[in-house]
Amino acid sequence: MIGCYDFCGNYEWTFEWLRQQGGHEVVRSYWDEAIHHDSQVHASALIAAKGIEGMKEYWGPTLADEGAVYERTATDDVFRIDMHECPSKGFLIRNGLQQYPDYCDHCMGWIGPMMKQAGFVVDHEHNHCGQCWWEMRRESDASAPSKTGELSGEHDVRLRADWKQPGTDHYDRATDPDHKSVRPQG
Amino acid sequence: MSPALPYTDTKPVGHADFYFAVNATFRFILKRFGYEKLQEYWRNIGASYYKPVSAQWLDHGFAGVAGYWRAFFKAEPGAEVAVHESADEVRLEVKQCPAIHHLRENKREIVACFCQHCFFVNEAIAGPAGMAVRITGGNGVCTQRFMRQSRNEPAQKLEDIKEAT
Repeated sequence: MIGCYDFCGNYEWTFEWLRQQGGHEVVRSYWDEAIHHDSQVHASALIAAKGIEGMKEYWGPTLADEGAVYERTATDDVFRIDMHECPSKGFLIRNGLQQYPDYCDHCMGWIGPMMKQAGFVVDHEHNHCGQCWWEMRRESDASAPSKTGELSGEHDVRLRADWKQPGTDHYDRATDPDHKSVRPQG
Repeated sequence: MSPALPYTDTKPVGHADFYFAVNATFRFILKRFGYEKLQEYWRNIGASYYKPVSAQWLDHGFAGVAGYWRAFFKAEPGAEVAVHESADEVRLEVKQCPAIHHLRENKREIVACFCQHCFFVNEAIAGPAGMAVRITGGNGVCTQRFMRQSRNEPAQKLEDIKEAT
């Protein structure tokens, strides 16, 4: 049986299996169709209906249930997550599992299209070591992402000594997993 | 000592909402590639991702099989499963499948052939350890038997595995 305890391991394995069947486009479709529109349809409905309030409702219990160490910061205009210990990537690192080139892309793979559908854009960085940050704003809000510490204070993941890693992925007002740039020095 | 789970987490029990993704993954592959490919996916994940489980079963025999399933279902929320070990086989009596239970509780449409994944995945794990798997029931309640291939048990009939609803 495929269980939920080690789900992140077989999920990551599945990305690579799908890539081998039909290339990158199939993996992108999987994140959008299977995860955004099917598995996480409850999140999609909540956020489409309630916007930032929906994000607060969804990313409270869910991340806690998954065992994340994280901080949420919400204002009327922005919803921010500082992920200090991603339970999913952490599981893969601890168990030495890597089949797919960039597991972290799956989050933008389903959250990006979900935010687009709800009228939001995403500023985001992940360092491939289990740390990342996210800021969701309405598409009509042209504000730049917050400066380090400005929104989440001491909880800002960018203040960590180990935050800067080579090859950190960076997204500006994105909703597409491929719309990223790589920062060589993190 | 029986081996337990090859991949371990810091939390004792998994997050049940991941069953949504397991079910959605089967549906995606079925729609995109068809049933034969879904069977291939199940066989491949059993032979590849779960390869360490095969090695445990090869090394430890039925004690390894029983130890694995006890540890496995202890970490699956909502599972009610009895694991019986004898000289001839290991038998799982699944009184409440955690996945079917959670999907139903949340009114999710379950892929009809969902329960077949246990046969294809488990058979792919068991094969390299010289074992075979036979399943009867399904749709939340089933019996799964793990025995030596040398017993030449009649082939699994997929019609003996109920469709999930």
